[in-house]
Amino acid sequence: MKVRWLLPFGLVVTPIAHVAFAAQYMTVEQAQRAAFPDSTEFTPRVLDVTSLALSGAPQGWAPKAWLARADGRVLGWLMVDQVIGKSELITYAVALDAGGGVKSIEILDYREAHGGEIRLAGWRKQFAGKTGADPLELNKDIKNISGATLSCRHVTEGVQRLLKVYNAALRGAAG
Amino acid sequence: MQQHPFARAALALALGMALSSAAHADEVALKSEIDALRAEVAALQAAVKQMQAGQTQAIAASPAAAVTPVPVDAGGSPSHASAASSAVATAPPVARDDAMAGTNFWGYGELNYNHPTDDIGDTQADLRRAVIGFTHAFDDSTRVYGEIEWEHAVASADDQGETEVEQLYVEHSLAGNYGVRAGLMLIPLGLLNEHHEPTNYYGVELNFVENAIIPTTWREGGLAMYGSTDAGFSWNVGVGTGPDLGKWDPSSDEGRESPLGSIHQELQLAKAHDLSGFGALNWQGIPGLLVGGGVFAGKIGQDTPDFPADGAQLVLGEAHVRWQPGPFDLSALYTRGTISDTQALNLTYLGQPTPVPKAFWGGYAQGAWRALEWGQSSLVPFVRYEEFNTGAEYAQQPPGFGTPALPTERVWTAGANYYLNPNVVFKVDYQHFNYDDEALGYGNRFDLGLGYQF
Repeated sequence: MKVRWLLPFGLVVTPIAHVAFAAQYMTVEQAQRAAFPDSTEFTPRVLDVTSLALSGAPQGWAPKAWLARADGRVLGWLMVDQVIGKSELITYAVALDAGGGVKSIEILDYREAHGGEIRLAGWRKQFAGKTGADPLELNKDIKNISGATLSCRHVTEGVQRLLKVYNAALRGAAG
Repeated sequence: MQQHPFARAALALALGMALSSAAHADEVALKSEIDALRAEVAALQAAVKQMQAGQTQAIAASPAAAVTPVPVDAGGSPSHASAASSAVATAPPVARDDAMAGTNFWGYGELNYNHPTDDIGDTQADLRRAVIGFTHAFDDSTRVYGEIEWEHAVASADDQGETEVEQLYVEHSLAGNYGVRAGLMLIPLGLLNEHHEPTNYYGVELNFVENAIIPTTWREGGLAMYGSTDAGFSWNVGVGTGPDLGKWDPSSDEGRESPLGSIHQELQLAKAHDLSGFGALNWQGIPGLLVGGGVFAGKIGQDTPDFPADGAQLVLGEAHVRWQPGPFDLSALYTRGTISDTQALNLTYLGQPTPVPKAFWGGYAQGAWRALEWGQSSLVPFVRYEEFNTGAEYAQQPPGFGTPALPTERVWTAGANYYLNPNVVFKVDYQHFNYDDEALGYGNRFDLGLGYQF
């Protein structure tokens, strides 16, 4: 079978194979400002989560963290991570107060065809005040959204992992 | 490497001008400026190194070393801090580019076993469906979305299986919260039509209401707009193909099993003279609560020559609510459809068993309880009661030629979903029918099922 005619298609397809459909609702900088409007500086911290060996952590997991301060006073942390909803990545940010409790979460990028309702403020507010000591389970601590179950489950699990990262690596590292 | 004579001349001129200018500058101020620039370059180099280290996941020796401060703004002034903030904000937030590839695949499927308790000779096992889905993003605002389905394991001219394209549309996001779709799409009615993966519903079989009245999985070709609001509303409106009443077979039981399921076209050489419209609105402003409804309406005669019901209009509406407080999952749905101008058509069907109904309806209430949960597994018993009638009313005919309404079927279903993990489910249930109909498979039965999605 002659397949040489496929070659031009391959050449065209290859360069665009690494793009993703995404609705961007916030940039990282906007999430920083929304969570800590009084902050005068956001200091990035390099996290080596592989050394934490957290169970359930996805391969290639690489959350980011910034320390928010106002004139030297610690306000809290902003962590940015990604989880897979059904088959696409969801980028979200978790803001923690200086004591390690969840201040707020924001959905930065959402790519699934369904389930975008996790952006609803009412759903995100359920995380406020949660800490690494809370079990944070979907349908118990966090109510589900019908039609967005996988997105709800995976973001909830993601927030739980980030709270463990905070406890293991960031708590007490604000100095 | 050769340099153009004009380039050499321009370089010499620029150098001369610079030297001339420097000769008139304050030497002390210039030295100070150079020192400041050197310091700034050094700080930027340190920042770049740290960012590169972050992206390549530098290995730390112990958990205590899992966090490393980046000395970009240590002791910096607010202006420096702002610059650092911009730098990190524009960098990719995470380094999982492999998973960001523009093409994704997923799938789901189910295998069912039905055991009629009064007619065990009809016991049947079936690979009900296997589905492979894909998306491919052309850019960050346009993608194609598709699902290919195989039903009943084997599809050939000699077998009963089917291969079908269940969805195939191009989606274009116009903004973060609304966009447009064109192609073969699921109609946004009911709780299951758009979310019919076996892990999403209780019981081995779909409920009868969202099968006999709303013909899940119902899809049409067309154009739709969708969106959501911060107040919790999501909406979907569209125009596209509709059923073809000319496909009605009065000699078959199919129209009695599902009036719309027997005349849907599924974009298979679909007659498209008469287009239909649909709209749906849902509200999920309170976590755990879903309230919504939708309407599908249009002419379904399709301008067929000499067809006695060319002006027939279909209207199908539904309303639903689902509430998931804690371990409970409660839902209810009601739907009703009408088809107009069927009197003359049904007269041509005299003596046939299945005329076209004027009205058909159904409703159900369901309660499920996550009774046990351990690790990723859970056991969820449920009970569902439903009533439906696919021939609740027929167009009036001259005395002696009319068709009496069908009896309303009432079904109790009780069983359990056992989730090995959230994506693999084993199901068991028992269904009790208030009347048997052998042709439609209505009769008390025991069911087993296996479903998955990935």
